[in-house]
Amino acid sequence: MIREERGLGMPPIFRFGALLALIFLLVPMVVIVVAGLTAGGYLKFPPDGFSLRWVLAFLGLGPGSYVASTGEAGASPVFIRAFGFSFLLALSSTVCSLALGTMASLVLIRHNFPGRSFFQAFFLSPIMLPGIVIGLALFIFYRTLGLGLPRSYVGLLIGHVIVCTPFVIRTVSASLHSFDLSLEEAARSLGASALQTFRQITLPLIKPGVMAGAIFSFIVSFGQFDVTVFLAIPQQQTLPLTIFDHLRFHSDPIPAAAGIFAITLVAASLLITARAGDLKAFSGFGK
Amino acid sequence: MNPTKLGREWPFRQRSFWLIGPPLATFLFFFVFPVGALLFLSFNRPNQASLRPAADFNLGNYNHFFTEELFTDALVRTYWISLEVTIVSLLIGYPLGYLMARTEDRRQSNFLMILVLTPLQVDTVIRAYGMMIILGDVGLINSALLAARLIPTPLPLMFNEFGVIVTLLHIGVPIMVLSLMGAMQNIDPELEEAARSLGANRLITFLRVTWPLSMPGVLAGSLLVFVIAASSYTVPRIMGGGKVVTLSTLMYNKIQSSAEWQMGATVGVILLMTSLIIVYFYQRSTPHPLGEVT
Repeated sequence: MIREERGLGMPPIFRFGALLALIFLLVPMVVIVVAGLTAGGYLKFPPDGFSLRWVLAFLGLGPGSYVASTGEAGASPVFIRAFGFSFLLALSSTVCSLALGTMASLVLIRHNFPGRSFFQAFFLSPIMLPGIVIGLALFIFYRTLGLGLPRSYVGLLIGHVIVCTPFVIRTVSASLHSFDLSLEEAARSLGASALQTFRQITLPLIKPGVMAGAIFSFIVSFGQFDVTVFLAIPQQQTLPLTIFDHLRFHSDPIPAAAGIFAITLVAASLLITARAGDLKAFSGFGK
Repeated sequence: MNPTKLGREWPFRQRSFWLIGPPLATFLFFFVFPVGALLFLSFNRPNQASLRPAADFNLGNYNHFFTEELFTDALVRTYWISLEVTIVSLLIGYPLGYLMARTEDRRQSNFLMILVLTPLQVDTVIRAYGMMIILGDVGLINSALLAARLIPTPLPLMFNEFGVIVTLLHIGVPIMVLSLMGAMQNIDPELEEAARSLGANRLITFLRVTWPLSMPGVLAGSLLVFVIAASSYTVPRIMGGGKVVTLSTLMYNKIQSSAEWQMGATVGVILLMTSLIIVYFYQRSTPHPLGEVT
């Protein structure tokens, strides 16, 4: 009854509009999945039937089909190597961002100090600034420092950590808001050390936020293109750069096969986050 | 917060203040200093042999930027595209944002969130590829229209500004939806119910109650979408096909194809500064970006 009444302010056309927006957002996702499973050389409607040949080609398992269509033997393992590298890079930047982001959140949420809003905005700002400019700034800085950081793994990792940390700060802060500080005080007054209190009281309670932060920063790093452009390592490309290069010279749907993995990864990790709590709060937008 | 509570917690809290050290040092060293280096370099005389910032301060690059059409065109084009993306994102995203703000059931709201967050989080290169399949000359739209004999030749839907805008919308709409949802959650549904029970129809209720109260979300979402659209490099690079020159692609070209480090840095600084100004207004619209002290 109350539920019904709550919709009263909404003109009926809004439901239709909301549906259109969802269709606009989801159609490209569906198209990528269908294109990745097509049997032909490119996607058309109706498709030339379905097969796993492009998925296998992406995995480096079906070189025969790949050679036949583009005449480039041995090119396909490039993707799975890049996938592995991006995975490793995303994993390392997530670990670093989690540590830095959690530390920053604990101070930014719990302490009242002059300039607090400024520092909150400062730590969140890399989300909104042009990634390619951040990458170029780091490249120039590395070259000026002369420590061998340009186009190195560590240099690339640092760039990713700078853009991933804000996402951790957002989700961890969201779960710190509902945190009852007296629990920590109780632990401390019963003789627990600061580290014990953090590990046994604080961490379990903010775990949903930390998990969500880990997942978001992994995804941001894994799909990062803009920041990577100027920091990329010559011998080892990330998956988004590999796909981009492939798009310039080929027309086969291997990128769509890569897209199937990316969409699955994102949707699965969002499902996990949703189980841990309210996605509205973790997105950094909801209350 | 009541004063006695604050008094009890202060000494305890202060002990953890050192935790800001490592993140602050990282951000100073690898975010503030690099941006400083970029800013420094943008004031140096053009020198293709060196990208080391030098103590040679002049405004030549900026003068060059604002007097040559290549640069001013890119500037105007970047912000014009961003403006179009912002307005259309608002139109497309508003109903969905409202619907999601009014969805209180956790399962339903998480389901809608997954539908909105998945497209937002899949990498931009792959999403742009999805748009290429839809908008290309042999893409879905053109092949369907050609098969139905509605058009004699493929419509130019990508490798132009149109393709860039449509693909940026795919980033802008979810961001707009989430911003609107956040702000609209704070609108008390009873206000709308009151308007309705006093005899206002749905349209009047919307125009006089819902829309004005959703203005904070409209403002925040618009600033966010605008700044993210202006920042994008991937989308104009892939969907523009080299024909849509924005500040980000121009910066890349200046550096990668002609090693004009100082001029590239200048373009980068101008893009960064405009973004910073918008970020400043965005933060002003939300006084504590992460919320109040717990």
